[in-house]
Amino acid sequence: MTARRSDLRAIERFTLHNGLRVIVAPDHSSPLVGVAVIYDVGFRSEPKGRSGFAHLFEHLMFQGSANVAKIEHIGLVQSAGGVVNGHTLPDLTAYYEALPSGELELALFLEADRMATLALTEENLANQVAVVKEEIKVNVLNKPYGGFPWITLPALAFKTYPNAHNGYGDFAHLEGATLGDAADFRARYYSPGNAVLVVCGDCDPDDVARLAERHFGAIAGQPAPPHGPYGEGLPKTELRRVIDDPLIPQPAFALGYRCPDPLHQLEDYAAYAVLANVLSDGDASRLRQRLVYRDRSVTDVGCILGSFGSDTFFMRDPVLFQIVVFHPGTASADEIVAAIDSELESLAGTGPEPDELARVAAGLAAGHWSSIDSVLERTLDLGSVEVIHGRAELVAELPQRLSAIQPEAVASAAAGLLNQHRALLELRPEVVR
Amino acid sequence: MTRETAASRPAPGRLRLPKVPAVLEDELPGGLRVLAVRRSAVPLVQVRLAFAVAGSHISKSAGPSVLAESMLAGTDRRDRGELAKAVQRLGGHLGASRREDSFVMSASVLAENLRELLELLVEVLRGASYPQEEVRADRERLANETLIALSQPDVVAGEALRRRLYPRHPYAAGLPRPASLHRVSGATLRSLHREILDPAAGQLLLLGDLEPRRAVSMAGDVLAPWLDRAKKPAPSLLPLPAIAPGPIEIVPRDGSVQSNVRLGGPAPTRSDPQWPATALASLIFGGLFASRLVENLRERHGYTYSPRSAVRHGRAGSSLLVEADVATEATASALLETRYELGRIALGGVTEGELEAARRYAIGSFTFMTATQSGLAETLSALSIAGLPPGYLKSYPASLAKTTRAEVETAARRYLAPTALATVVVGDPTAIGAQLSTIGEVAISAGLSTR
Repeated sequence: MTARRSDLRAIERFTLHNGLRVIVAPDHSSPLVGVAVIYDVGFRSEPKGRSGFAHLFEHLMFQGSANVAKIEHIGLVQSAGGVVNGHTLPDLTAYYEALPSGELELALFLEADRMATLALTEENLANQVAVVKEEIKVNVLNKPYGGFPWITLPALAFKTYPNAHNGYGDFAHLEGATLGDAADFRARYYSPGNAVLVVCGDCDPDDVARLAERHFGAIAGQPAPPHGPYGEGLPKTELRRVIDDPLIPQPAFALGYRCPDPLHQLEDYAAYAVLANVLSDGDASRLRQRLVYRDRSVTDVGCILGSFGSDTFFMRDPVLFQIVVFHPGTASADEIVAAIDSELESLAGTGPEPDELARVAAGLAAGHWSSIDSVLERTLDLGSVEVIHGRAELVAELPQRLSAIQPEAVASAAAGLLNQHRALLELRPEVVR
Repeated sequence: MTRETAASRPAPGRLRLPKVPAVLEDELPGGLRVLAVRRSAVPLVQVRLAFAVAGSHISKSAGPSVLAESMLAGTDRRDRGELAKAVQRLGGHLGASRREDSFVMSASVLAENLRELLELLVEVLRGASYPQEEVRADRERLANETLIALSQPDVVAGEALRRRLYPRHPYAAGLPRPASLHRVSGATLRSLHREILDPAAGQLLLLGDLEPRRAVSMAGDVLAPWLDRAKKPAPSLLPLPAIAPGPIEIVPRDGSVQSNVRLGGPAPTRSDPQWPATALASLIFGGLFASRLVENLRERHGYTYSPRSAVRHGRAGSSLLVEADVATEATASALLETRYELGRIALGGVTEGELEAARRYAIGSFTFMTATQSGLAETLSALSIAGLPPGYLKSYPASLAKTTRAEVETAARRYLAPTALATVVVGDPTAIGAQLSTIGEVAISAGLSTR
């Protein structure tokens, strides 16, 4: 009854005839089951002139299908005692449920019904365009620091549409979206061969195989569409932009750097993940010690590898290493950047101390256990890593692989940041006090 | 285009109540209550040390806020950096926070390092030194963070609603303002530390991959030097005042592209027999995604992304809250629809179908909330600081399972009637003033001070 959640390696996998990959990770430590269907499509795949479409489409997936009425999907899961939602990232779109384990089949039925027979009307499309516009107002337009830096930094750091455009979308693009766009997008990206089904928690792999076949087996298959490559050349000079924002009370800035390809140079990329922890995880980290407690020039500093931080291992190349700083303006952005550079130079020169890496490794191990304690996080981690890396097993291996990173690798990651032209995006309050 | 399905929609399963963990309850010398729970799916332990605080520390929140920042700024044995390193080396996290009416130290750690983490906790409890230079920097940083928080419209709305819901009560105070933060000194903090971090007002929780008896005895050993103090009663709070719903209060925010609509009023506390029925009424009204408020404001009208209702519990009492961030041009329409749905549920009752959906969701979401170590630790710690027994983990889902439609309708009549709720709207007054005055009396407030 107190089984350990250490068996993430005991993953079973199979593929249906239509190409749907199924991952099963049984664990009976609580009577709950997580289900996710993750499609290999995100902001980076949306057509030009249709920015924000991948996320809008995620909303449309809750508007009903042949056997399920508008928003009934959510009602059925909640009234079965479950939780349900979806999210859209640069390279994937995830739909998920977590339920009492007796309700597993309900989630499979619902996910299969909308994969097979999404039902869209003009009225529901118009309604969700309006809802998404309000979502963007809450999180960006009406919110001080909204969209910083996940929308504004890629727009400066990248040149090509897939990497640089606003994933929430321009209002004009959202308003121009048609049912035809939705049908095309669905036909291209929402087939079983372009998706992964994950079932995790209190379940039996044989049951999952039988139920997956029953609900998803009859959906027509087609080859998965190509994605990317989205790689683009490195900047030839430092990229700088200042945005004057009347809503914000104090300045902020973000630095954006390129890093190794997460798929083809995973070990090198992992060293950047460790570097992010050395620099800003906890009060003992280099940048917090230097900027927050010694220089007292900043209010907060954090490093993000990926778009949002939680998606470090859910992205394809190119990925930004971001350093995000909020400060009162007592020092200029350039002065603070110079202090960051001197910390990077020190790391690039002598590397982290052995004790420093041991501390970071202990933190990574604890963080891993903490995140897989939740059946939903476990489900999403497995499915997202499977979509991008093709190996859900990587989730269980990561803590060890990260703690095996040597000081030299972290030093060369720091040097990698120094030896390139970065992007520097500044937010300035309109009235400088 | 009906799909060929091998199976039609699966029938709902049997309603299952969550399995409740065994909670060991004990009291250490000095009056410190301790709870210990074994939850060993992952090799971590959660520690919460929570203190009920007096009303004066809620109404004057600057001191406790800086206390939380500066508590880890150094001890008689090491400075902030060394302390942070020591915690990190254990695979640990240690922090302090001022909450609405309590002060909480939270920690988590790899299970094998629990004793070392408790030793660091005691080092802070006995020897936090509050060096003046650090305190000065911490209060400055906190003032900057507060300015950033007060620039957020949802924070402004929450602060404004507090003033309406809790007149002349400490809960009205909300966030401390920079001017009062700047007056907090190291000496103030040393005396606040002695006053707030009092074992007699404390509740210790140890939860995770541990053996409860052994963990309690370890805590008794390690904490003994700190526990050696005289026992005295925990501070009590005045009950929440009655409110007058009054006019629609507009809190001006020029150029706002949305309006933050907030309604609030009293709600039963968790020990009140009407609580489970009120929780279900709130879910049916605006807590579920398939609730009346979401169906109307979002899915029918597209006025808003995430309308919701919920109940907030404090030691002094509970409040029902209704929130929606709506398109500026639709502000009055959205408030009108909100009031219509409130009136409809207060007068017209609920259906059996709605009640069953809400009941299953309430029990299910409680199960999820308590399924992780950190979720269960937060839940148990909050219950114990509110004076509720751990048995609530079992009695609450059981009462949800038994609540009748008549009870939900009685609760809806009392707590969801539109006349029971005060209304605050943060938005651009020139764009929303005229609209709102067509549906009710409007008062424009002076806005919030950020000084």
